[in-house]
Amino acid sequence: MNLNDALFDAICEGDRKTVEKLVRQVVDAGGDVGALLRDDMIPAMKEVGERFSANEIFVPEMLVAARAMQAGINIIEPILAKSGHEPVARVCIGSVKGDLHDIGKNLVVMMLKGAGFAVEDLGVDVPVDRFEQAVQRGAQVVCLSALLTTTKDAMRPVVNHFKGRDVKVVIGGAVITQEYADAIGADGFGADAPDAVRAVRRVLGLPVEDAHAHDAA
Amino acid sequence: MPMTPRENFLLAMSHKTPEWVPVDMGKHIGSVHKTAYPKLREFLGNVPMRNDQLILDRMAQTVVPDEALLQRFHIDFRWVKPHWVQVKERTDTNGYVDMWGVPYKGTEDGEHFAVDGAPLAQAATIADLDDFAWPDPEDPDQFQGLREQARALYEGTGYVVGADAIKAGPLMTALQMRGYEQFFVDLVSDPEFADALLDRITALLKRMWERYLGEVGDYVQLAYVTDDLGTQTSLLISPKVFRQRLKPRMKDLHEHIKRCANVKLMMHSDGAVGPLLDDFLDMGVDILNPVQTSVRGLEDTAALKAKYGDRLAYHGAIDVQQLMPNATVEEVRWEVAKRIHDLGRDGGYVIAPCHNLGPDIPPQNIATLFDTIHEYGRYPLDLDAPLRTDASYFARHARA
Repeated sequence: MNLNDALFDAICEGDRKTVEKLVRQVVDAGGDVGALLRDDMIPAMKEVGERFSANEIFVPEMLVAARAMQAGINIIEPILAKSGHEPVARVCIGSVKGDLHDIGKNLVVMMLKGAGFAVEDLGVDVPVDRFEQAVQRGAQVVCLSALLTTTKDAMRPVVNHFKGRDVKVVIGGAVITQEYADAIGADGFGADAPDAVRAVRRVLGLPVEDAHAHDAA
Repeated sequence: MPMTPRENFLLAMSHKTPEWVPVDMGKHIGSVHKTAYPKLREFLGNVPMRNDQLILDRMAQTVVPDEALLQRFHIDFRWVKPHWVQVKERTDTNGYVDMWGVPYKGTEDGEHFAVDGAPLAQAATIADLDDFAWPDPEDPDQFQGLREQARALYEGTGYVVGADAIKAGPLMTALQMRGYEQFFVDLVSDPEFADALLDRITALLKRMWERYLGEVGDYVQLAYVTDDLGTQTSLLISPKVFRQRLKPRMKDLHEHIKRCANVKLMMHSDGAVGPLLDDFLDMGVDILNPVQTSVRGLEDTAALKAKYGDRLAYHGAIDVQQLMPNATVEEVRWEVAKRIHDLGRDGGYVIAPCHNLGPDIPPQNIATLFDTIHEYGRYPLDLDAPLRTDASYFARHARA
C-alpha cells in the first residue's frame, strides 16, 4: 500500500500514531502537504462522515478518526500557514442563546475542521452579537445548534440579523428539521454532523459530492 | 367490583387485554415544566394546582404534579422518587454539583440546567478512579421516608406504584463524569479504563437499588432505570461496543433489581434504539420507554408491536419534540387513536408523553391528550372512526 492510501486508512480507523508518522514522513521529505490535506486527509474524513451517516460507524469511531485527523493537521498547519494556504472557507458555530448543550455542536466542529474549514467555536449560550463579531473576523457561514424545542426559537433572531447580508446561516440540532429551517429562513440544515458539512458546502455553492474523491485503487 | 389501576396495569403487562390502556405522567422524565404548569392551571380553570415551585427534576425544571391534576387526567401511576443527596451548590455560578461530582449550570432564565464540566476529565489511570470521591451508597437520606410513602400508596389507593429512577444509568453517568467526548473515545481506545469506570458506577447503582428496594420493594410494581443510547438518527455507540461494554453491566444491574423485588423493569432510552431491542429483552427489560416516534426507526409503532409486542411492553409513544408543541387538537386526537391502535392490542402498552411537557406545549394540547386517552382507551378498542379522519401530524409534515 502506498503512503497516501495508508494515511487514508489510518484516518478512517482513527490510528493517530500512524497518521502522525506518515504525515511526518511527507513533511521530512519536503512533500506537498497542501496536496496531502486536499487529496488524502480531507477525503478520508469525508469517508468517515459517510460511514457515520450510513450507521456503519458511530460517535466513538468518528471522534477517534477526527482526533487522528487533527493530529495530522497539527503537524502540517504551521507549514500551510507559511505557504499562504487558505482554508475551504471560514465558519463560526455556537449553541444559541439559552442553550447550554454542546455535544452535537462539538461533533459538527470536528467534521467541519476535518473537511478543511477554518472553524471558530463560540461555545454555548451564544448571543447574536457574538456571532456578529465572528462574522466581522471573517466567518462566511454561521452555524447554529439547539437541543431543545424551547431554545430553537433563539435561532430566528440570528437568522434575521444576517438577512440580506453576504453571510449564510446553517442550523441543526435534535429538534431541528428542514421544515423549521425553511420556516425561519435559514440557508441550510444539517441532520447530523456529516450532513452539516454538506449543508455548509451547499450554501457556499461548493460541490457536495467532493471532486477530490479518494482513488482507492 | 371494578378493576383497580394496579390490577389493570398488571394484566396489561402480562400481555392480556386489560379494561383500559394504562396512562402515565409524573415520573422524573415525563412531568410538566414549571412554566407550562401555571398555563395549564389557567386553561383547566377548576383544578387546584399548587406545585409550581415544587421541583421534581432539577435539571429539567419540571414540577411534582399535584394529586388533583393526576386525578383530573385519570393518571394510573404514582411514583416514589429517591431524594437528591450529596448535592453541592456552586458558588461560582447558578448551579450545583450532583452526587457523581458532575457540575451543572443553569441558563440565565433558570429554565433548565445542563452539564458544565466533567470531574474525571483528567483521570489518566484506573488508580485515579480509586482516588475519586465516589457517592456514598449508604447515605441514609437517599431513601428516607419512601417506605411510608410507598406503603400508603399501596395500601391506601389502587394506583400503580412505581420506583422512579436513581439518576442516571451506567453509560450516561460515565459520559458525564468523564466528559462525553473522552468517554466515547475511551470506549474504543482504552476499553480497560472504560470497563473500570462502568464497573464502579454499576456497583454503586446496584447497592443503591438494593437499599431503595429494601425500603419500597414490597409496595412497588415497577422499577424505572434510565440511560440514553440513541440519537435522533442512530445509536450513540455501535451495537458491537454496546454488547461488549454496556450490555453485560446493564443486564447485571437489571437482574439485581429484579432479584431485590417483584417488579417489572422499565428502561428509558431516548433516541433511535430500534437495533437494540433484542438486546434489551436479553437484559431483562419488560417495558421500553419512551418509544420516541420522532426518531429514525421508531416511527412505525405497528411494526414495533408486531415484532416484539408479545414479549416487550411499550411506555410512551406520544412525541413531545414535534407533535405536542405544534400539532392541532385534531392531530393530537388522531395520534392518541393511532398509538393505542398500534400498540394497545392485547395489552402491553402504557400511553404517556415521551418526555417532559415543555414550556412551548399549548395547554390545550396537554388537556386534549389526556382527555382523548380517557375517551379512546377503553377495551374493546373501537378506533376505526377516529383513525378515518387521517389527521396525522407526522404525515402532514412528511408531505410538506
